[in-house]
Amino acid sequence: MNALNRFGPLFAALLVIVLMSLAMVVARTSPIEGFTALLTGALGGPNQLGETLVATSALLFPALGICLAFRAGLFNIGAEGQLLIGALFAGAAGAQLSIPGPLGIVVLLVLGAIGGGIWGGIAGWMKARFDANEIISTLMLNFVAAAVALALVSGPLKGPLATGAETAWLAPAYWLPILIPHTRLSAGLLLALVIAAILQWVFRATVFGYELTAGGEAPEAARRSGINISRLTWIALTLSGAIAGIGGATIVTGELHRFNTQLSPGYGFTAIAVALVGDLQPLWICVAAFGFGILESGGLAMQASAQVPKDTIHIIEGLIILVLAARRYVATRVEKVQAA
Amino acid sequence: MNDRPALELRGIRKAFPGIVAVDGVDLTLQPGEIHALVGENGAGKSTLAAIAFGELQPDEGSVAANGTVGLVHQHFELVGRLRVWENVLLGREPRRGWRIDAEAARARVLDVAQRNGLEIDPDAIVETLPVGVQQRVELLRELDREPSVLLLDEPTAALAPSEIEAFFATIVRLAQRGTAIMIVTHKLQEVIAYSSTVTVMRHGKITATMPTARTSIDAIAQAMVGGEVPALAAREERPRTPVLRVRDLRCGQDERRIDGISLYVASGEIVGIAGVEGNGQSTLADCISGMTNFDGSVEIEHGDRPKMGVIPQDRHREGLVMGWSIVDNVILGRQEALRRGALLDRDRARVEAALIEERFDVRAANLDVAVRTLSGGNQQKIVVGRALIDQPALILAYNPTRGIDVGAAALVQSRLIEARNGGAAVLLISFELDELLTVADRIVVMYRGRIVGAFDRTHFDRTHFDRTAIGRLMAGSQ
Repeated sequence: MNALNRFGPLFAALLVIVLMSLAMVVARTSPIEGFTALLTGALGGPNQLGETLVATSALLFPALGICLAFRAGLFNIGAEGQLLIGALFAGAAGAQLSIPGPLGIVVLLVLGAIGGGIWGGIAGWMKARFDANEIISTLMLNFVAAAVALALVSGPLKGPLATGAETAWLAPAYWLPILIPHTRLSAGLLLALVIAAILQWVFRATVFGYELTAGGEAPEAARRSGINISRLTWIALTLSGAIAGIGGATIVTGELHRFNTQLSPGYGFTAIAVALVGDLQPLWICVAAFGFGILESGGLAMQASAQVPKDTIHIIEGLIILVLAARRYVATRVEKVQAA
Repeated sequence: MNDRPALELRGIRKAFPGIVAVDGVDLTLQPGEIHALVGENGAGKSTLAAIAFGELQPDEGSVAANGTVGLVHQHFELVGRLRVWENVLLGREPRRGWRIDAEAARARVLDVAQRNGLEIDPDAIVETLPVGVQQRVELLRELDREPSVLLLDEPTAALAPSEIEAFFATIVRLAQRGTAIMIVTHKLQEVIAYSSTVTVMRHGKITATMPTARTSIDAIAQAMVGGEVPALAAREERPRTPVLRVRDLRCGQDERRIDGISLYVASGEIVGIAGVEGNGQSTLADCISGMTNFDGSVEIEHGDRPKMGVIPQDRHREGLVMGWSIVDNVILGRQEALRRGALLDRDRARVEAALIEERFDVRAANLDVAVRTLSGGNQQKIVVGRALIDQPALILAYNPTRGIDVGAAALVQSRLIEARNGGAAVLLISFELDELLTVADRIVVMYRGRIVGAFDRTHFDRTHFDRTAIGRLMAGSQ
């Protein structure tokens, strides 16, 4: 069981391969053909690699936010809403403001963090103040976020030339630089990697990281060690939302260059699987995000050439969460038997 | 009555991952005997009892019981909101059609109680009953199945001295009627007073089986530890100045309530709080350690020392992060002392952890193993070591030796005495009167949230009179 825990990410990768093979067999495709299609679609050329890394980046921000909350023992499943509000803040400001050049980009990213932070912070405040279950409040705030965003960009924030629910386009001065020429991959990915490194350092070396993890692992022991648990709760959920919010802002400034209510196909939910597969270790989460990026961007190619529906990918993502949850359950059971 | 043993265990072996809990044990229980099974924590007693009961399957060996086997658990397994008779017959309720036949059930419970000389109100709600009576309910539940073998796992852990006497009166009566009784315990006084045979386990093996009449507490303790029980540190007297002053403290409700407690603890003394569990001790500890709001005042005069080191009641839940390393657990509660700007000085924590490991003889492969993998005694040594390492002015110790073996307990007690010699004020809350009589300079008795008596070491130093007096006060009589 210990070995299983230590190799959680590898175990999950193996599981994905087995489950996908099964899905392909069910769809009457040879797994070799299916995986070839998947990998070619995801990594076959600069364009494909670019799209894979775009998805990696979009998943990595909310996954890192979720990682921080989970480490503090808080099941933030509201990353989707936090990401959306972050994107909305950046998109709305970007379409209205005129701050010159690089500073403007920084301002938009900070606004993204503030938006996501507020959204996470609401759940944190409700938990600290009224002991409201964060699983329910963060989940429900996803719906509120979607409704608020839709209302705003259908009305007051709607771009003058927009046909759908979206803001006006951002001036090119606010666009994040592109990393691989002729792809959509922006410097947002680098920012995500920097945040991952910072988080790893925070958990390993700082008093804050220590107290955060203590609160998550053993709340009563943490409280008795003088840690203010309710303060920790709202700080953790605010930061968690802020990281997801920056992710939303990088989608706006890096790829879409405007805010659109459809900008996330559920990154905030897939990110839960990413964080869990990455064993809540920021550096492993980067690897996991890349793996899920491959699935996201290769899925379409797989559907086209191997007749395996793209939705299979989402089924498998769901199964991964279930299996990882079961794995933790089994691990605690084994521990209990050992203790007896 | 025939000559067959009531219970016969042959060549029992049971291994859990990483540890052989029971290793080649033979044990025979005769009808009518009271057999005490003693041993340090982790010696395999509870595992053996669970195997005898059939709750666990042995890897090797055989269990042969002549009749049914009953087991009374250490921690009561009662449904607090149900009535006594409902608890006694839980899962075996007499039925009338779809419904429970309440009248038949009540009659049956009264009958069992009467035959065994136990007084009980079958309609009382269990959670409203005193602990001693709840124990009776637990016992009745097993007696209803008319067991020929009755296993009792630490049956007196939560009882007051007078309740313990009543409990053993019942047990002795049962034995006289032919029931074979096995008591798993660590209270050696009770072993000597009530058992007919005593078996000592150590590291999963039986190291001695002897008739109780021909042995002594010291001999049993030696067999448990596998050598001499270490002597405690000597006391040194030094001038005392008040450190902790508690005035008219009020807080909590029901069995957590404390109602006007005033006490003081000076530097260089250990003040023991005696009392049966559930008389407000944990609320008192929470008030002093600042974990709850209260009326009244708590003042701590700590000079240039750190204010307080706490040894909490429940080391698993309140004292340790079980999945973390020894080093990371040594940090817990001392984050500010180890803070360097935003960073945590883990190097210093490692040095301190090594110091604790040495001073407390912690047995661990290295300082990076998860504390979960350590024995209870070693875990407790880390908790105690951490509370003492900064030499705080006040040490608040809550059952610091509960559930750990004799050797580890002696070490913990010695370190507390040394801290006291070094000028610390120690408030020691313990459910073990013997521990207080050994370690404390003064004993204060708590009953239902009040202080009902105080005794000084010059008086109680093992005189029988005070022991009886304290025991009476703990049970609520004058």
